[in-house]
Amino acid sequence: MTFLVRRLLLAIPVILLVTIMVFSLMHMLPGDPATVILGQEATPEAVAALREELGLNRPILVQYFDWLGGVLQGDLGRSLVDRTPVAELIMQRFPATIELTIGTFIVAILIAVPAGIISATRPGKWVDYTSTMFALGGMSIPHFWLGMMFIVFFSVKLGWLPASGYVPLSQDPVANLAAMIMPMVATGLRESAVLMRMLRSSLLEVMHADYIRTAYSKGLKEWTVIMRHALKNALVPVVTTSGLIVAGLLSGLVITESIFSIPGFGRLIVESIFSRDFVTVQGAILVSALLVVAVNLFVDILYTIIDPRIKAGKGAE
Amino acid sequence: MNKKFRLGLTAVLAGSLLLAGCGGGDKPAANGGDNAPKTGGSLNIAINADPPKLDPSFSTALVERQVFQSLYDTLLELKPDGTLAGELAEKWEVSEDKKTYTFKLRQGVKFHDGTDFNAEAVKFNFERYMDKASTRRAELEAVENVSAVDANTVKVTLKKPFAPFLSVLADRAGMMVSPAAVKKYGEDFVNNPVGTGPFKFKERVKGDKLVLEKNPNYWQKGLPKLDSVTYKVINSSDVQLVNLKSGQVDIIDKFPDKEVDNVKNDPKIKVINELSYAFQGIHINVTKPPFDKKELRQAVDLLIDREAIVKVALHGTGAPAHSPFAKGHFAYGDSDKAPKPDLAKAKELLAKAGVPNGFSFTLTISTTPLNQQIGSLIQGMLKPAGIDVQLEKVEFGQMLEKGKAVNHQALMLGWSGRPDPDQNIYQFMKTKEPNNYTGYSNTKVDELLLAARTETDTTKRKGIYDEAMKILNDELPYIYTYHEANLLGFSKSVQGFEYVPDGLIRTANLSK
Repeated sequence: MTFLVRRLLLAIPVILLVTIMVFSLMHMLPGDPATVILGQEATPEAVAALREELGLNRPILVQYFDWLGGVLQGDLGRSLVDRTPVAELIMQRFPATIELTIGTFIVAILIAVPAGIISATRPGKWVDYTSTMFALGGMSIPHFWLGMMFIVFFSVKLGWLPASGYVPLSQDPVANLAAMIMPMVATGLRESAVLMRMLRSSLLEVMHADYIRTAYSKGLKEWTVIMRHALKNALVPVVTTSGLIVAGLLSGLVITESIFSIPGFGRLIVESIFSRDFVTVQGAILVSALLVVAVNLFVDILYTIIDPRIKAGKGAE
Repeated sequence: MNKKFRLGLTAVLAGSLLLAGCGGGDKPAANGGDNAPKTGGSLNIAINADPPKLDPSFSTALVERQVFQSLYDTLLELKPDGTLAGELAEKWEVSEDKKTYTFKLRQGVKFHDGTDFNAEAVKFNFERYMDKASTRRAELEAVENVSAVDANTVKVTLKKPFAPFLSVLADRAGMMVSPAAVKKYGEDFVNNPVGTGPFKFKERVKGDKLVLEKNPNYWQKGLPKLDSVTYKVINSSDVQLVNLKSGQVDIIDKFPDKEVDNVKNDPKIKVINELSYAFQGIHINVTKPPFDKKELRQAVDLLIDREAIVKVALHGTGAPAHSPFAKGHFAYGDSDKAPKPDLAKAKELLAKAGVPNGFSFTLTISTTPLNQQIGSLIQGMLKPAGIDVQLEKVEFGQMLEKGKAVNHQALMLGWSGRPDPDQNIYQFMKTKEPNNYTGYSNTKVDELLLAARTETDTTKRKGIYDEAMKILNDELPYIYTYHEANLLGFSKSVQGFEYVPDGLIRTANLSK
């Protein structure tokens, strides 16, 4: 428990540091937000008026603490572009990204785990070569290209799935799945390749351990040895990788979201960066940082369940 | 015979799409025969970016005008032939000294929120657009005073005659928004737009879509034909096209230029490929070396092969440019024809400027793939004369800042274009105007541009622009490269579309 508390407390400076970095980076960017928002048609007076209104002419430290004060009270501020509360913008975009992340991860696991086990238990055999080749392919094929190919094949040629158009899960689960299946598979394939390679090498290592030999010598069947003894121990690096993947997906689905026109979180961040809407960028990155911390925490908890030897908290006491 | 004629007519209708509606005016659309467009239903239109602000007062993005067409009516409207006609203003009179405009407003028009459209509302809108925070302010700077004579008459007094005035009222500065809604929503009006247009705002999911529904009280009888219109945000033109092909959307606002030829025989897709008012080119900083020497600007101008740019980078869509006015525009003149590349002459100019072996300069370009490609093409075109071009890629915001500060050597940036010539030249070439990114200043040009603003006779106006362009094409503070095409893609089941040169998709007459 102390381990968890310590991990939680440690997250606070990390998140603070992230906000400071984002804040200063956004302000270091060349290009004044007021100029970008008003565009080519702006008169100098209009730019000055907008800077004043947005509080951009105040010292950066004042702007930062002002924002931080709001955040502590649960107010992420309002978008510089259209004055919508940032929290509202994020909430609008989140369901799609969360769903896409979970779906992508499930696809990745469904492919990676069986493929990893099979190729690790048959090293050097054709199944191993096939799945290794598949993994290499999965890692090398750009998923935006794969996504486009999916659309051309399943939407344009066959007409089975919609090429774009997100429907919230709560509104119509079938239409939602129809819209999400292609992006999930396109991105999931790539992530599965990474996971599969990880699982294969980690399993191979474990398979040479003494306790596996012991298990075999007790006369246990291969299936039982792998499922009950080897897999659990091979999972630690896989869980680490999974954590990184999930954390990456949560804020990094920009390309997938663009190709399939899904109104997700990644696109929000990119769009806001381009329009210099740094209030939105700050809010979004803060939320994203919180999520990464949460995912990592979850991974740490998982460790202790998978491998009781990693009770880091206790070990340190 | 009669039946045959009808069949023939139907075929023409289906084939051209342009005839199915009669567009804009107060007459109902002419349709008949077995192929009469249905009313009701909904239509999906792909737009290439999320329109940030649904308020014409603060609008800066081109894509917003696409949506505004459905939400707002304008005082005047642009017709397919490029002329102006009344919309919310039924007719108007101009005083002898061309400084007072008296508008008679259409009666019985209501905003989406049920409030009346009247002279007070027009006055309110003018004043709102003239506020210093409004991006429309520059367009209406000629306006001195607006007064409501009676409920349906508005008098606008100008500081001095201003020829583009009416044309401005056919765009965002003439869009009428509900004063009651502005008061109710305050700064949140950008997310709760209320106009008098054929469709009213229903919902939006930022980054995804914008849903508009039929305005049942629309003042044009029988319009709109559709029950709803959904604008879907699809950034990539290639993705737009697959969505059009798969039937997810019915219209796309950016057809990928490289695909224009590939769909010529597609039975389901129709492409509109028309020259737009937009132009692209290079702002040359005339205040600093190397381009403070006119000969060097002329040499660069002479070396750029515009035909090649159009052919290679634009896949044959668009047209070479040598002025802000495209072919077909009334201000397009003789001096606007692009020169053929001439290496020998360019070398002569370099020698005359004292740099016979060439020179080098930095060309600032934005990071879009198209601009990078054109940047490289220009790099290659100038090389034979010994002109070494360094490409500096900057993001759009930085680009604008460099331009406004005239802190560059050469900067590649265009303009989306407006119907009135003044709006495409004045603010770029007149001394110290906000879009004068070149530092250029010429008293004669300033005089001509001012004169063109007050001249209402089209032929005389064209003469003035010809004269100005003659000077500008010799001095070359801005090197025009090409005019973009408006490339729209339609599913052939869409009927009632009529192309208007601003390239916007007017939805009132559309049906499916």
